[in-house]
Amino acid sequence: MTDPTVERISFTDVRLGFGRGRHRLEVLDGVDFGVRSGEFVSVLGPSGCGKSTLLNLAAGFLKPDSGLVEVDGAKVTGPDPRRGVVFQQYAIFPWLTVEKNIAFGLTLKGNRRPKAEIREAVARYVDLMGLNGFEKALPKTLSGGMRQRVALARAYATEPDVMLLDEPFAALDAQTREFMQELLHGTSQRDQRASMLITHSIEEAIFLSRRIVVLTNRPTHVHEVIDVDVEWPRTPESRTAPAFIELRRHLEQVMRSMTTLPTVNR
Amino acid sequence: MTVTVRRVLLPLCGIALAIGGWWLASSLDDRTPPPSRVFHVLVDGLGSSDGLLLDTRLSVLRVLIGVAIGCTAAVPVGFALAWFSVVRDMFNPLVSFFRALPPLALIPLVIIELGIGETARLSLLVYAAFFSAVIVIYESVAAIDDLYVRAARALGASELELFRRVVVPLTVPQIFVAVRVALGVCWATLVAAEFVAAQRGLGAMMAKAQSFFRMDDVWAGILLIGISAVIMDRLVQLLMARAVRWQERVVR
Repeated sequence: MTDPTVERISFTDVRLGFGRGRHRLEVLDGVDFGVRSGEFVSVLGPSGCGKSTLLNLAAGFLKPDSGLVEVDGAKVTGPDPRRGVVFQQYAIFPWLTVEKNIAFGLTLKGNRRPKAEIREAVARYVDLMGLNGFEKALPKTLSGGMRQRVALARAYATEPDVMLLDEPFAALDAQTREFMQELLHGTSQRDQRASMLITHSIEEAIFLSRRIVVLTNRPTHVHEVIDVDVEWPRTPESRTAPAFIELRRHLEQVMRSMTTLPTVNR
Repeated sequence: MTVTVRRVLLPLCGIALAIGGWWLASSLDDRTPPPSRVFHVLVDGLGSSDGLLLDTRLSVLRVLIGVAIGCTAAVPVGFALAWFSVVRDMFNPLVSFFRALPPLALIPLVIIELGIGETARLSLLVYAAFFSAVIVIYESVAAIDDLYVRAARALGASELELFRRVVVPLTVPQIFVAVRVALGVCWATLVAAEFVAAQRGLGAMMAKAQSFFRMDDVWAGILLIGISAVIMDRLVQLLMARAVRWQERVVR
């Protein structure tokens, strides 16, 4: 499944609103885009435009009012371990140690692996995420960056077909965020796994993505889809490449034009 | 200030202050017995197997049994109320009603139906423990962060696995809270029930002491009830600290 023309995740004329009557709020107003095989796509948009709603649709936590959300050609009907999800608020289980968190998906009935295989997978992702020495630690003793690495390890350990990331680094400080972006880039680069990242950080979107989907204000549709023409794979130096800076300037302009500041009453 | 001073010395100072106030009050009011006399009663009574010791043991045992049965029943019911919306919609008004109803309001009914024996007292305690615990458990399950539920579902958890491996561990700390609430309610209910209908037990002892105007015994009873309740509450807290070491505590 590395044919780069095959769409792994696809949104076709997706519409969704919340509430009813006077309180009805149209959020998605015909969203169309796809994530191709092996491709890393970021979804960027003004706050409140329904970025996370899109991810919740792909994850199967929500259903669209109309339109089609498909993963690997099958309509999404509910959560499925073939679609890994990483949340902004980490969502690692506080009562389980680091290794038990990572092993969680592999010990569930639908996805159960032999003990030796689980041990091996845990060791591999502990290593990959730099969690060595913290296998037996409880989440409460970890920093935010480490918690999110546990969450990434847990999501990757079940070897999902596609990865859905909902602003995973938004709660981290700037240095940790850059480090985590590089870590994630390394991982997704190695696996060639179709990934969809929701973010409000322009820098993060450019650094990690092959393509960026820019959404409009609510009611939301796709404003533009941008091919990121920065050398691949990305390195810390990519952030200062002329193409990177050029694209950042363009996106900043787009985002600014969509930001509606509250009008001042005189 | 060192930890020992804070943890040991300061509480002792507080207690000493209270005893000092009590002593002062007893020297001003001749109905109030001085601390020394009450301590004497305590030492004597707890020394003989037929005296205060028996009353204390009976009361503590009644509370323990009431809390044990009431909370054991409350756990599955609380989970069922929170997990199944049909069960919740059907029984929520009833649970609210019985929870709001003070257990003591049932004393007349219980006496007529069950008499004044041990069954009557225990039924009342089980009732008190059950309804105070069930609401705590129900609310703690209902308040579980949807984030963990989504995370588990996305990893492939079935309904049963979700319940067993996410909902239950998240609710364990609240079960201890439920036990503590039940303990408080049960002590209140027990003492009142013993006032009304019991031969022995701290409440009965105090009721008798009151009618004979034996103030030493009244004060001894107050002390014993308070101390027993505090010790039981502390034990539950200790158990909880051991069982849920994963919890993040806000240290002030």
